[in-house]
Amino acid sequence: MGEHKLIMGKDIYFWNFIVLMIFTLFEVGAIFFEEVPGTEIAISITAVWAILIVVGIVKGFGIAAFFMHLWDDPRIYLRVALFPTLFVLLMLWGIGLSNPEGVTGLPGWCTPNWDSLVTER
Amino acid sequence: MGGAGGGDVKNAVWMRALVMAGMILGLSIAAYVALGVVAADMKHQTWTDEKADYADAKNAYDEAVDADVTVENNTDSPIFVDYANAYNDKVDAHLSYLTYRVAGLAILFVGIIFTAFLAISGLVNSSRPDEDHDDHHGHDEHEHHGSASPIIFSFGCLLFLLGFPEFADGLHGLMMGSSKGTIADLSLSMIGLTVVTVGVANWWREDLPFNGYGEQLATSDPFNGQHIRKAGIWVFLMSEVMVFATFFSSYLRMRTEWCTKWAQDDGKCSSDEPIVLTASDYLRPGGGVVDKFGDSVGDFWTMLPGAVNTFALIISSYTIVLALKVAKSHDYKAPGGFMGKLMPTKKAAIRNYLIITLILGSMFIVLKLVEWSHLIAEGFTIGTEQGSIFYVATGAHGVHVFAGLLIMLYMIFKAETTEWNEDNAQGIEYFGLYWHFVDLAWVVIFPAFYLY
Repeated sequence: MGEHKLIMGKDIYFWNFIVLMIFTLFEVGAIFFEEVPGTEIAISITAVWAILIVVGIVKGFGIAAFFMHLWDDPRIYLRVALFPTLFVLLMLWGIGLSNPEGVTGLPGWCTPNWDSLVTER
Repeated sequence: MGGAGGGDVKNAVWMRALVMAGMILGLSIAAYVALGVVAADMKHQTWTDEKADYADAKNAYDEAVDADVTVENNTDSPIFVDYANAYNDKVDAHLSYLTYRVAGLAILFVGIIFTAFLAISGLVNSSRPDEDHDDHHGHDEHEHHGSASPIIFSFGCLLFLLGFPEFADGLHGLMMGSSKGTIADLSLSMIGLTVVTVGVANWWREDLPFNGYGEQLATSDPFNGQHIRKAGIWVFLMSEVMVFATFFSSYLRMRTEWCTKWAQDDGKCSSDEPIVLTASDYLRPGGGVVDKFGDSVGDFWTMLPGAVNTFALIISSYTIVLALKVAKSHDYKAPGGFMGKLMPTKKAAIRNYLIITLILGSMFIVLKLVEWSHLIAEGFTIGTEQGSIFYVATGAHGVHVFAGLLIMLYMIFKAETTEWNEDNAQGIEYFGLYWHFVDLAWVVIFPAFYLY
């Protein structure tokens, strides 16, 4: 368990908590600023999206790996945790399949290759 | 939670439950009176005054426009500025009143449910003599911990959800005093809630004497040698992942079709197309919802409850990990200073970390309802596609938090009777897994619904 590993005298739970708090500040802050503070660099929608996704992944990893002990526990629990990923990905991909704009309006990664499905006569 | 096992519960469980329930009810009534009655009445008076000021400012503005048409929407005109300020003050006063009123009512509601949970479960638990609680099963690795309570509980949930559409319509009709709602509409869901209550109370009765020793181990692959309950909680959590994935993919499916302000700003849809307003348009600074003066309604204060809730859940995840850490420690040493007074013994430290977690979780529910009241007041209701998915997804998450709070209440109750150590603290660990999952779900929901 994480309480046995010490970094600068504090256990992994403490450092995980600090990282989660900092990244949450970063996440909320990204919405409040239209420019990078102290510069004139505009924060675009794409940049905000990227920040939200990266922060989400880091926070999700921190919670699952250290607070939920997946990092130390037997690998069977990690496999259980990853099992639904397949279905989640299928569901997200389903958005492309069912969306009226699936052919032209969505990025290629979430749309099937429709041309290959056309019947050749 | 395990089934019946070994342990000592030789005190008057019912009396302890009653004392705890009384304290919670007393505190929640006090908070309701302070926030929902006294402060809310003061805020209501302010709102009434602001409405009168707004009416005066509007009359003055209308008269000024009649006399001089250049005053209309002229931001340099003092009369227009007064008019706009009076409008903003009126809206702020209304939202401020809602904050206190809803916070008070929400605390009272949560307090009553907590009280009922403790009182009913305590009563059921006291239905057998104290000596029956102590069955001395001890450390037997092979003893049976099976329980029918989860099945009873699930059946109750099924009945409740089956009757929920009629329940919601009927309750709404009854509250509004319309002829559409009848008591009969509530029946199926109420039967479901009763079955849920019986299931939970029986679960409590079975688990309270169980001291955590004698955990059953799986004897076949893929979990061979692992604790059965731990495998069970992980499988359960993954089924929950699918529930939230359903909400999330539905949201994305709809969102990709909407012409939102984000999409329009990004050139994804025509500027002539009407904007679909999402929750984040009401909440975040610079969102798509503007008042009649063209100012965005979203600002720091509208985003604050969601942001505070995000921090509250993360802190609560940490406090429950600390409860587990203390429970598993061999030689607990009380920290110095104020924390030492708060956590003088191992048992007190575990209980108090759980209480802090309970307070943070309760705060999450209260702030969530305050935020909803603001959104509804601003016109973001469940009657639209974007409102429907927002309230269903965040509401489902709120229900999970609330269910976790009830389990936490039980864990706090149990903390008085169990001597936890490295070998028997699974109860906290497994509940912690659920609580961390709720936090994890919020990590996805918050950016997707509040920020994007």
